[in-house]
Amino acid sequence: MKILIDGIEIEAQPGETILEAAKRTGIHIPTLCYHEAFGGQGSCRFCMVEVTKNGSSRVVASCTYPVNDGIEVKTSTPQIDKIRRNIAMLLYKRAPNSLFMQTLYKEHLCTENNLTEDPHEKCILCRLCVNACASMGVSAISTVMRGTDKRVATPYDDAAAVCIGCAACAQVCPTGCIEVQEEGNTRRIWNRDFVMVACEDCGKKFATREQLAYIVDKSKQDSPEGELQLCETCRRKVIARKLETFNG
Amino acid sequence: MRKKSKKKQVLVCCGTGCIANGGLDVYQAFKNNPGGLFELASSDDIKATGCHGLCSSGPFVRILPDDITYCQVKASDVEEIIEKSIKGSELINRLLYRDPQSKKRVQNLDKIAFNSMQVKKALRNVGLINPESLQDYLERQGYQALHKALKMKPEAVAQEIIDAGLRGRGGGGFPTGLKWKACQAAASTPKYIVCNGDEGDPGAFMDESIMEGDPHTILEGMSICAYTVGASKGFIYVRDEYAGSVTALTRAISDAREHSFLGNNILGSGLNFDIEIVRGGGAFVCGEETALLASIEGNVGEPWDKYVFPTEKGLWGQPTVINNVETWSNVPLILLEGAKKFASTGTAGSKGTKVFSLVGKVVNTGLVEVPMGTSLRDIIFTIGGGVPGKRKFKAVQTGGPSGGCIPESLLDLKVDFDSLSEAGSMMGSGGMIVMDDRTCMVEVARYYLQFLAGESCGKCVPCREGIRSMLEILERICNGQGCLQDLDLLEDIGESVRTAALCALGRTAPNPVLSTLKYFRDEYLEHIVNHRCPAGVCKELSEFYIDAELCNGCGLCAKNCPVDAVQGEKKQPHVIDNSKCIKCGECINECQFLAVKVR
Repeated sequence: MKILIDGIEIEAQPGETILEAAKRTGIHIPTLCYHEAFGGQGSCRFCMVEVTKNGSSRVVASCTYPVNDGIEVKTSTPQIDKIRRNIAMLLYKRAPNSLFMQTLYKEHLCTENNLTEDPHEKCILCRLCVNACASMGVSAISTVMRGTDKRVATPYDDAAAVCIGCAACAQVCPTGCIEVQEEGNTRRIWNRDFVMVACEDCGKKFATREQLAYIVDKSKQDSPEGELQLCETCRRKVIARKLETFNG
Repeated sequence: MRKKSKKKQVLVCCGTGCIANGGLDVYQAFKNNPGGLFELASSDDIKATGCHGLCSSGPFVRILPDDITYCQVKASDVEEIIEKSIKGSELINRLLYRDPQSKKRVQNLDKIAFNSMQVKKALRNVGLINPESLQDYLERQGYQALHKALKMKPEAVAQEIIDAGLRGRGGGGFPTGLKWKACQAAASTPKYIVCNGDEGDPGAFMDESIMEGDPHTILEGMSICAYTVGASKGFIYVRDEYAGSVTALTRAISDAREHSFLGNNILGSGLNFDIEIVRGGGAFVCGEETALLASIEGNVGEPWDKYVFPTEKGLWGQPTVINNVETWSNVPLILLEGAKKFASTGTAGSKGTKVFSLVGKVVNTGLVEVPMGTSLRDIIFTIGGGVPGKRKFKAVQTGGPSGGCIPESLLDLKVDFDSLSEAGSMMGSGGMIVMDDRTCMVEVARYYLQFLAGESCGKCVPCREGIRSMLEILERICNGQGCLQDLDLLEDIGESVRTAALCALGRTAPNPVLSTLKYFRDEYLEHIVNHRCPAGVCKELSEFYIDAELCNGCGLCAKNCPVDAVQGEKKQPHVIDNSKCIKCGECINECQFLAVKVR
């Protein structure tokens, strides 16, 4: 099906969202809570665009709106720019301590106002961490509470029994608000200590014991043998060598 | 079938309001059968019914066929009622309704102003039947609509609902028939039917009254839809606090199964359909339909974008029809009386009637059902009897916490889905809160935003952070720390939230702010510029004084002042000592002469 984004005609696939179609074509729509690995959540509303269909227009979230034939999309209008500016402003006021939000605040030319700022907060509740954890199949963290009290936490803020300490949550976090402390053989994350395992080749501490055990369990291997005991870099080297042998 | 008898029947209102005032005790007193009047204590002749509507005068006892209604009845009145009005045919004057205008006692409540303009369609059985009795429902044409529908083609049933012009009573106002037709056309199976009974608006009890007072009508409406769209499973999602609704619905489902109105091969037609009750978890946002569906699925009650309608992808990703309680109760009626008759009531765009719960500063609080297009003035002043005491009407808030406040100048507005939206408010599910001149509109906006701050699901940024910020600004204005730029900021944020929020709760959340800014801007300015709360509600900005010309020295204010801040000789004008005054407002509320004023 054909759709128009900012005047450019695009062949879109049924089932994909406006954002996906735009990304494929190299058209930029700013996002905060979107990640290719998890798809659209529709929660940050930063990717709002104007869609016109059969002569009537509405503002929709491009990360969840499925394309349909003949729609015309505008990724920037005065109304949409204002929405993005207000979202940047509101999130900056929530998490002024994050460099990410400071940059976004400036980029969107937000004007000063007297709303209070929480100097300690860094989280913008994009939930990428929650999605990452769920994608790992672990779900040790989730959003808790509702309304303005909503936040990300482990159950009852205790050390989560199911957490494997993989720190995927911290890696995907745009504002760097999830604390990962590493000291000696120990990694501390979400109020729990994990023992780090060293790479057999280079000695780099690359994963937690629980993480490796989880991989073994999921991949139905007997024990963390061979490549699993290696860090990402060394594992790549081993695979490359194997391929050389295979080809040769 | 029970043989028709001319025997006397007693209907005792056991709606939630009446139960709170001792309705169950009254019912039990009749059941105890003093004087051995009734053949059996479990006799059908004594019925505990659902809500009668005029909750401010309950508990009600209605005696048929004489049609005598007694108000504010106590258990201790029962023996006298039996002796005089059931055994005999004497009226007990003191228990009859006293019409506030004519000051006369009235025997039959149908004729009083409160009921005169009402048209009971959705509430047609509520208050007249024993909700626990399938027999009672059958006697009032119960399940005849289902019987009729099962003989029609499913497409014809959907067309009938389309022709009737029924729109969703939960607040969205989406044409119900089109919803059914879309679900009918959806290819995927299984399909689901859902009833939204998660009525969460403070002060609203329309749906509760139907669930408690006429549960079978909901089951019948859902079964008709199941036949129309080809669904085999239904869910009724009931607000957790509504224990009475759960009891009534559970009983009704079990009775309906036993008599082949639910279950396999309904009425021999081959239709298989059953209904399960799901109790809500206590979140207001679960009244939003996608959050409700998520909650039934066992997930956190957070909405999702409805760019694909639930009729295509709803519960567990399957085609789903979700309608509100009041919508369901209209369905059997449409099949019975026909689309044309149904559509003869109402306005061009909104057909039929709407149930409102009329509460707040109004004489007759209660449940009101009027044709769409009835003016706010008629609802509040004719039916509601206006504002009590000498106070003046200021605003009416419609549509629940995220509705808007409508000023006196718009009282002639003909109420329907579209007119209320145009006025910056909404129909919502039918809450209607009347406010008098002792209400501060800035404080009202603050109050609702505080409610919404706790009840937003917190998923999307505009709603969560927008409400937080608007609440912060409103708190500042109420505390006397507002500035003029705050008003622009409120409007700026409010408009973004209105456009960008994910669900209807978020998109309507700015209504209390934007509507009060539109109609009561002068009050905001008074707070900010003159540091004064004209209604005397915001404590930091209120100072009370007594107008010596109006004060006759009755002493009521001094008597009720909790801190002895009012002084004065009897029959002499009193004075308020502002160093002692805690601004609770008791003196203003008590003064019958409007002598206590706000500086």
